[in-house]
Amino acid sequence: MKNKKKNEKLPLPQILNLDDDFSLIKRFIEGDESTFSMLVQRHKEKVRNIIYLTLNNHDLVDDIAQEVFLTVYKNLGSFRFESQFTTWLYRITVNKCKDHLRKMKIRQIFSPIRDNEVELGYESAPENSDIKEIVHEAIAKLPDKLRVPLLLKDIEGLSYQEISESIQCEIGTVKSRIFRAREGLKELLKPYKQELL
Amino acid sequence: MESFYKKYERLSAYIDNELSEEEVKKLEEELKFSKEFQDKLEELKRIKALTASSIKPIEENPFFETRLAAGLKIKTPWYRRIKNYSPVIGIATVSILLMVLLKYNPQIIDKVVEQQKSNLTAFYKENLKPLLFTANLSNEDIFNFAFYHQLPLDEKKKQCLQFGSDKNGKQFFEIKSGSIVQNADNLKQFENELNLSSDQRRQMDSILSSYKKDIATQVLVNDKNTVAINPNIWNYNKALTADLISFASRVSRRKLQNIIPPEFSHLYSQKDLNRMVNAVRTARTNKYIFLTPDSIFSEQYSFNQEEFNKEMQKWSNDMQNNMKEFTKQFGNFNVNFGNSLAKLKKDSSWERDFDVYIDSNICRVHIPAIVIPQINIPDMNELRENIDSITSNMRNFYFNFPEHSKGKNYSYKYFYNDSSKGFNFNFKAFGFDSSFTAKNHKLDSLMKKRFKNFNNGFNPDSLASIFKYFMQDSTSSSRQNDIKQQMDQFKKQMQQFEKEMEQMQKELRKSMPQSQPKKPVEI
Repeated sequence: MKNKKKNEKLPLPQILNLDDDFSLIKRFIEGDESTFSMLVQRHKEKVRNIIYLTLNNHDLVDDIAQEVFLTVYKNLGSFRFESQFTTWLYRITVNKCKDHLRKMKIRQIFSPIRDNEVELGYESAPENSDIKEIVHEAIAKLPDKLRVPLLLKDIEGLSYQEISESIQCEIGTVKSRIFRAREGLKELLKPYKQELL
Repeated sequence: MESFYKKYERLSAYIDNELSEEEVKKLEEELKFSKEFQDKLEELKRIKALTASSIKPIEENPFFETRLAAGLKIKTPWYRRIKNYSPVIGIATVSILLMVLLKYNPQIIDKVVEQQKSNLTAFYKENLKPLLFTANLSNEDIFNFAFYHQLPLDEKKKQCLQFGSDKNGKQFFEIKSGSIVQNADNLKQFENELNLSSDQRRQMDSILSSYKKDIATQVLVNDKNTVAINPNIWNYNKALTADLISFASRVSRRKLQNIIPPEFSHLYSQKDLNRMVNAVRTARTNKYIFLTPDSIFSEQYSFNQEEFNKEMQKWSNDMQNNMKEFTKQFGNFNVNFGNSLAKLKKDSSWERDFDVYIDSNICRVHIPAIVIPQINIPDMNELRENIDSITSNMRNFYFNFPEHSKGKNYSYKYFYNDSSKGFNFNFKAFGFDSSFTAKNHKLDSLMKKRFKNFNNGFNPDSLASIFKYFMQDSTSSSRQNDIKQQMDQFKKQMQQFEKEMEQMQKELRKSMPQSQPKKPVEI
């Protein structure tokens, strides 16, 4: 009897995997809002990384990630369980990043032109440059529509299917864009061919 | 045949483990036999590795969840949520308020419009002064007003106020340019025709003077370019004409009958006349017609004669010292009815009250909506023909024909817009001599009596343009004379030059050494 009482008092061990996202959401919908923090805990780093890779800006990561999870919190009640939670989450994240990029572009229209704006093109190899930094800069120079799927694949390890759902396009398009991104990167890194490629 | 691009794309997908088993098998077969394919695969693998190693994962933020939790607790206040809808809410509120306001007070818009109107009219009614008072109307002007219905406004610009009525009996006034009756001694000629004694002339002057002040205050102006005209001026015109004819009848009925048909003379008994004149002078019509740069409207306005007289007295006392100020106050009025009124006419509502005709040098206002106190005075228009005939020598328009056309039957053709409205001006038919005098204000009567066809499409303004045409023609003829004179002068100069040249040749021959005749050579 005592053991039985002890078993009742102890919380049940929660061994969660990706499939458990649905059960957490169900509990949230039923009124257990504490499950939301568990969802945040599980996916926050992925979300933050996607934002960082997409915007290439440390300072904006947490603000936009906050916006992403606030949106998830408001809309979780209407989640339809038709796709993975992560697909839905990444889509929200990518859309928030797109919104931000759009706002930045509008601001740029009204901001004065700077002389030191860097143009996409070949550059001579700087001496003693850090290889990682060179590649990072080259990736940053890729257009958004090529850079985002490339990073989601090579850094975050998302499948083509997940990427296509996140950025809302066909798998064939994702496949093509990733290849074009790699080709673009090869062109950008041509000055460093001997050291890198 | 698969393109290289598609093949390489498959390689890219291959390194991402995104190909099906079948595709992988096929690709690996191809790789065995193609060095180029293998090199590309290696290149893509290196790029993938570089990409993966280039970006460090972002550092964790230990406060992320705490901040998020705080953000979730702060509920957006209601006023912030409303803020997003503020434009819609604002428009809806204003619309509802307007609807409620108009439901319970439908007259409010009319009231506001009326208020604005009254503000505007008050603005234009400020500081109105009689224009004709300062125009120093002479007895001659008053006489011309009686018989030619015209009062001078601005002698410099040759602008005048013309009163009249059209063939439908509608009365109108018009501000006209370039057709002012100049001092043609019409009054003097009239007096001479009646052979008035000096006493009778004094009586005539007295009659004219007695009307002068009243007529002068019927047209008011101010510094805002407003002209206010009292319609009662028409009755003054009738009464004055009747008064003058009555006086003439008393002086010499026989001579007056040369001017006025006998059937009219019985109308002007002294008793009737006094009654009519009194009726005119006591008829107080305070509804003036205002012509402003913005609009034309009729409004009640009472001109305070006594106050004005006092002011004038004061001004006249100061006039000698402040002559400049005086002219600034009264002398710089500019009647301007050109572009501004023409533009306004397009979208104005004047047509409800007034018929307004605006031309390059005329502004005519018909006033059917205003009731002018009618006094039983016969229409003087028919008498005007007779008055015209006795004053026919007092003309102010001269037309010069070229000298060589003297005695010949010349005619001018004039077409207005199209041939259907044209007319011939045949000099011989009118018995014109080498030059004739005509009076432009007589044209109105000509139009009625002799040139009835002129009514089809012609108005006084157009007639003025006809005369411009003639004037241009006469100037061209005078220019021909000038050219002829210049040619004569040039001929004379050439003749003089020829003579001088001949003289020079003679002198040159004289100065040349005489050559000796050569002797024959003997062989």
